[in-house]
Amino acid sequence: MGPLAVNEIISENTNLLLAFIIGIGFGFVLEQSGFSSSRKLAGVFYGYDTVVLKVFFTAAITAMLGLLFFSLFGWIDLDLVYVNPTYLTSAIVGGIIMGVGFIMGGYCPGTSFCGASIGKIDAMVFVGGLFIGVIIFGAGYGIWEKMYMAKFLGFPKVSTALGLSDGIFALILIIVALGMFWVAEWAEKKFPKAEY
Amino acid sequence: MRPRSLLALFLIPMGLIIAAVPQNTTRPYKLTAEELLAEANTRTQFVTPEVVADMIIKKDPSLRLIDVRSQDEFEKYSLPGAINIPYADLLSDEHTDILNQDVFMNVFYSNGTLTANEAWMLTRQLGYENNYVLEGGLNYWFDTILNPEKPSDSSSDEEFAKYDFRKSAGMALGGGNVIMPSQEQSAPSTKPAVKAASKKKKAAGGC
Amino acid sequence: MNETKVIKKTKYLNPYVGGVLLGLVLLAANFVAGRGLGASGAIKSAVVSAYTAVAPVTSEASGFVREFRESHQGNPLKTWLVFEMLGVIVGGFISGAIAGRLKLKVEHFPGITSRKRLILAFGGGILFGFGSQIGRGCTSGSALSGMAVLSLGGFITMMAIFGTAFAFAYLFRKNWI
Repeated sequence: MGPLAVNEIISENTNLLLAFIIGIGFGFVLEQSGFSSSRKLAGVFYGYDTVVLKVFFTAAITAMLGLLFFSLFGWIDLDLVYVNPTYLTSAIVGGIIMGVGFIMGGYCPGTSFCGASIGKIDAMVFVGGLFIGVIIFGAGYGIWEKMYMAKFLGFPKVSTALGLSDGIFALILIIVALGMFWVAEWAEKKFPKAEY
Repeated sequence: MRPRSLLALFLIPMGLIIAAVPQNTTRPYKLTAEELLAEANTRTQFVTPEVVADMIIKKDPSLRLIDVRSQDEFEKYSLPGAINIPYADLLSDEHTDILNQDVFMNVFYSNGTLTANEAWMLTRQLGYENNYVLEGGLNYWFDTILNPEKPSDSSSDEEFAKYDFRKSAGMALGGGNVIMPSQEQSAPSTKPAVKAASKKKKAAGGC
Repeated sequence: MNETKVIKKTKYLNPYVGGVLLGLVLLAANFVAGRGLGASGAIKSAVVSAYTAVAPVTSEASGFVREFRESHQGNPLKTWLVFEMLGVIVGGFISGAIAGRLKLKVEHFPGITSRKRLILAFGGGILFGFGSQIGRGCTSGSALSGMAVLSLGGFITMMAIFGTAFAFAYLFRKNWI
């Protein structure tokens, strides 16, 4: 059955309409969880507010479990779901640059749009920065193209790379995440919570 | 109860279930009879002799011709670069890697269209992609590529262009000096639009 | 409404509830479109269309446009992520309106000036925008959505982002605590 758009159960325009509706859900949940505040987001790196860690991992696990169960029931063909390609060099280099950007700017792209939508001027400035960053990448594409394309590993799954079944990997990830949540709640007690 | 404990109570059993069940048991990759019929009716599995001839001449590395006739017939005459998988052996395990792949554009051919199309149907029902059928088979191949008929003077420029292509392709592929195979006659039907060798369809990604 | 002044800001959702809801949104995206959520991809679409329409395409940028075109047909602005991000703005606004959090302001740690906060936000934005292109996706597109489909690249990017941010946290501590 699923994914609906890939199996052409819904038309291209319906797909775009649903994208808009899914986006509304995305923005709504982000804002409700407090992701529109850079101070709340940055809190995870200083231990005073670990909402990012909790929401992020709970969401990833929920979606992962959902997909695995949907596949089990035959509701979705996981072969047709986009799995991000792995380019080892660029994944690490890009991640490092984004990490610095995160601690400096206090937002990531999705949350900055969310913050901008409720009137955070710092978020709007961050969004402006994002555009400049992408333009720089485009303008100098030839300079980093080699690095961008280096060490292409295909579309591997982390479970396959570790030699585990998807289900067992999911179980391990759940246990690891719950352990991290426990540490996070301990840290929140230890570090003073700021009022904002 | 604390939210974290509640979450754990919910997630851990789910994780245990998903870890315990075998993976991909109900993968719906096989086509139902109705789906196959619908797809066969679109006739997009057919590629015209012109396209195949062009690919052979240009040595297109993605083309793989598969002769589904018997070994005897294959040895007597075959298209350049073709491999032989007799129809009777189509489903043997040693050929799975050739038929179920996403690198080559496999083109089945037989004398007419019938056997090759049956081969396509079988592989398609197994969910294999990138398999095609040479339209009209070898019979039509001889008529169009190796011994093209000169269009009448009143024909359009397009017809002449097609003829010129066929003639030059025929020469490049050694026309004129082959024996016509005669079994299994099937008249070529209207030409379908050729679908480019489409890889497995995936949603475009990229954040 | 005059009441808004009296009403205290409503509290944020419990993070685990928010996480489950976000996971369901991500699941819906995968079920409908066969792809995860994303944010920087929408910016990429906008920049690509700007490059094609306005700026004279330099040889450097043309590679970037070509790379994008390989996976996207048609108008670069008529893509899934662009519509999804428009939804994010609407969704964030609705949520902010319900919770009484709509307010034009520069949010910053009291220890630094607004000006400094804005400069840092701008610099961080540039780095994040650039890094998201190198890494083929940001926290939502590569890390979160990638993790949901168990992509190895998604996990690597996730660890690189959070690892680096933790490593640099000390350097930037004066701006936050």
